[in-house]
Amino acid sequence: MKSIIIGQYIPGKGMFYKLDPRTKIVAVLFIMISVFLLQTIFQLLIALSVAIILLLIGRISLLKVLKGLKPIMILLIFTFIFQIILNREGTPLISHPMYFTIFTLIFLILAFIIWRVLAKLLRFRFTLFFLFAGSVYVILRFVDFGDALIEPFNFAIYQSGLEMSIFVVIRLLIIITLSTVLTLTTKPTDLTQGIEKLLHPLKRIGFDSESFALIISISLRYIPTIFDEANKIMLAQASRGADFSEGKLKDKLKQVISLLVPMFIIAFMRSEELANAMESRNFVPGEKRTRINELNFNYKDVLATVFSILVLAGSIVLRVI
Amino acid sequence: MSYIEVKDLTFSYNEKTNVLEAVNINIEKGEWIAVLGHNGSGKSTLAKTLVGLLEPKEGEIFIDGQILSEESAYEIRKKIGIVFQNPDNQFVGVTVRDDIAFGMENLCIPREEMLSKIDFYAKKVNMLDFLDKEPANLSGGQKQRVAIAGILAMQSDIIIFDEATSMLDPFSREELIKYIKTLHKDGLTIIMITHDINEALLADKILVMNKGKVYAFEETETIMKKKEIFTDSHLELPVSLDIANSLELSDKHKEIREKLWEYALIK
Amino acid sequence: MGIRFNQVSYDYSSFAQGLYTAIKDINLEITEKHEFIALVGHTGSGKSTLAKHMNALIFPSEGNLEIFGEVITAKRNKKIKYNNIRKKVGLVFQFPEYQLFEETVEKDIMFGPMNFKITQEEAKKIAKESLNLVGLNDSYLQRNPYNLSGGEKKRVSIAGILAMDPEILVLDEPTSGLDPAGKRVLMNLFKDINEKTGKTIVIITHDMDLVYQYFNRVLVMNEGRLIYDGDPEKLFREKDLFKNHLDYPNTIKVLKYLNETLNLNLNIYQKTLEAALSEIERVVKE
Repeated sequence: MKSIIIGQYIPGKGMFYKLDPRTKIVAVLFIMISVFLLQTIFQLLIALSVAIILLLIGRISLLKVLKGLKPIMILLIFTFIFQIILNREGTPLISHPMYFTIFTLIFLILAFIIWRVLAKLLRFRFTLFFLFAGSVYVILRFVDFGDALIEPFNFAIYQSGLEMSIFVVIRLLIIITLSTVLTLTTKPTDLTQGIEKLLHPLKRIGFDSESFALIISISLRYIPTIFDEANKIMLAQASRGADFSEGKLKDKLKQVISLLVPMFIIAFMRSEELANAMESRNFVPGEKRTRINELNFNYKDVLATVFSILVLAGSIVLRVI
Repeated sequence: MSYIEVKDLTFSYNEKTNVLEAVNINIEKGEWIAVLGHNGSGKSTLAKTLVGLLEPKEGEIFIDGQILSEESAYEIRKKIGIVFQNPDNQFVGVTVRDDIAFGMENLCIPREEMLSKIDFYAKKVNMLDFLDKEPANLSGGQKQRVAIAGILAMQSDIIIFDEATSMLDPFSREELIKYIKTLHKDGLTIIMITHDINEALLADKILVMNKGKVYAFEETETIMKKKEIFTDSHLELPVSLDIANSLELSDKHKEIREKLWEYALIK
Repeated sequence: MGIRFNQVSYDYSSFAQGLYTAIKDINLEITEKHEFIALVGHTGSGKSTLAKHMNALIFPSEGNLEIFGEVITAKRNKKIKYNNIRKKVGLVFQFPEYQLFEETVEKDIMFGPMNFKITQEEAKKIAKESLNLVGLNDSYLQRNPYNLSGGEKKRVSIAGILAMDPEILVLDEPTSGLDPAGKRVLMNLFKDINEKTGKTIVIITHDMDLVYQYFNRVLVMNEGRLIYDGDPEKLFREKDLFKNHLDYPNTIKVLKYLNETLNLNLNIYQKTLEAALSEIERVVKE
């Protein structure tokens, strides 16, 4: 829970905090599109270094962004492995047979046990995971004695496969970093208002962007309250012998119901009271209202927008050439 | 004509029983009214009909001479605001500033004007240092004060407190009462629904509801002398008056009785 | 047996405040027989955190506590059946809405006991008994808990805990939100259960009138520390409660006012109206 920083606003100073949310949303969108247009690793590496330089100028701690990446690390690793295994084009870089014998199985089980035991004892879980993955490779590669359980198969890494996987991972990395920067430096209220203003032209086709933004901002406002409440309900039911970390699978269903029913009923009562409170303060859905949070678009926003347009134009040019 | 006039008000959620029955009340500008009554006596329903959240089955409500109807509700809610029981379920904004602004935004007040009013009214309820705080960081009492500021900012001069102190601890409760006293001094009309007899004693007049009807509506000092009103409505008198009423009527006790009354009515 | 806190501290981390210490160095013993204890303290003083430790809903960050012989420390111990602790120490939360979820009162009360492997028939019998114990008759069994009044919901939620037959019952502000008559009825009910069944009852409350009239032991929390454990009257005589954001009982305040304004010599420590009256009569006669 604590390490998740995706989508979380952290107050601070610096360039990105001063930008209009609309600018940031548009710029991030433009740059994301550009990143998708780039075709070589070299171009992507330049893009990545530009992104890092921007972070440094904006005085955003790289450490924080990296921490934010942690939960999706697994996703990145899987993407990497998938790309390597599935892409079989170009010249092979490595190509050799792999064996799976009765001894391979024994060694694999051993390696797995050692990994789990160490993971329980030590703190370097990530390093251990890599060590485990490495030892799986070594076992498959060199344990060729004993009765073969399946036919030896060929393991190969192709040049384009490797390139492709690095390419995809860097691209993901840039995109995630960009969106992290957006949410890290923009208050949720500003973000919703930015979206509202950007969607405003849709009013012509009957889309009520103001109500939409209000719904989002009320949801944001109630997330901590509901979280807190869910916790209390869980404790209240645990007091009646429904401990979520103890019961059997069969009892789990009942426990989940005992959590969900009160949550929904309380939410229902809350929405009624909230509607009353809003109505008594003269809120009429769909009517015109003024706004306390005004967005202001100044020269910095112009610069940032121009910059993102240039990036987009540049990558289009690269693509066409 | 009185500032608030309720005429033959009847309300029911279903056809069978009336939650309010033939309620008649006149409230003058600047008065502080306490509404007492057992659970289910119709106090909160009365509050909701006064701000047009519930539509009466029969009867009429006039506020500042204007009849309350579906069409006039918007205008009337500019004059009358309500603070509800649960501090969490009426805080609409993501921050204190946003919440104070919410009502003004609905009234289409220009931003500059809103900003200065927010500062002014936040100061009034001593929340100026908390403008950027989120509701999760506020106590129940602070949230209720923000609700008051939001109503004041709409320039309302009638505020209904619908058991607004009942979810607060005694300390925050006393603090909130302190602010209500200032509002009264500033000339606002206050209608305070409460279970707490000691809170009710602060009001100019007390309205006792019993089974959907107005059982009594009199000056605080007068009504306190009529013990039977309280026993009939399952309410308790404050301890000091309970003692005063039980004392012998001899001269020796007179002085003590007077002091007990004085204690009960300290404002 | 019962519950014993040894140097217990609890650090709490929340969305809003980050990390802070909710209770600090608590030493406390509660026996399982016949005690009737009030737990008071202003909001944020740590009283709810203290209560949640009593049935191991949360574990101490430092120190340990013994609950019916099981030692609870910071780490979850696989050997301990926490569910069994919760059966021995029942905790009723402030809002019945956190607890009620079944479509009938009977089924809802059965939920607790059914978590402890008993037959449907037994659970039904227990539900009926518990409901009667909180002063509601059998006609309530088939009603929908959400259609009851606030006071009735509260009773059903208490019955839901009583149904597990705990030896110690802890209640978080059971009288809040009720009218004065409802408060008294509920307090008399608790006193009655305490006397009839001999179960120890711990009640969190803000109401000093109730503390003075009903309890012989009061625990006072202030800024995470247990600052008083003993007789209520001694508390009112010795401590400056206003400093701890607490109030005095109304009888004491009224009699004190008489003493100050009329220069009387009343003994202000009178629990009830009747006692206050006879004290006044005594002084008048002199």
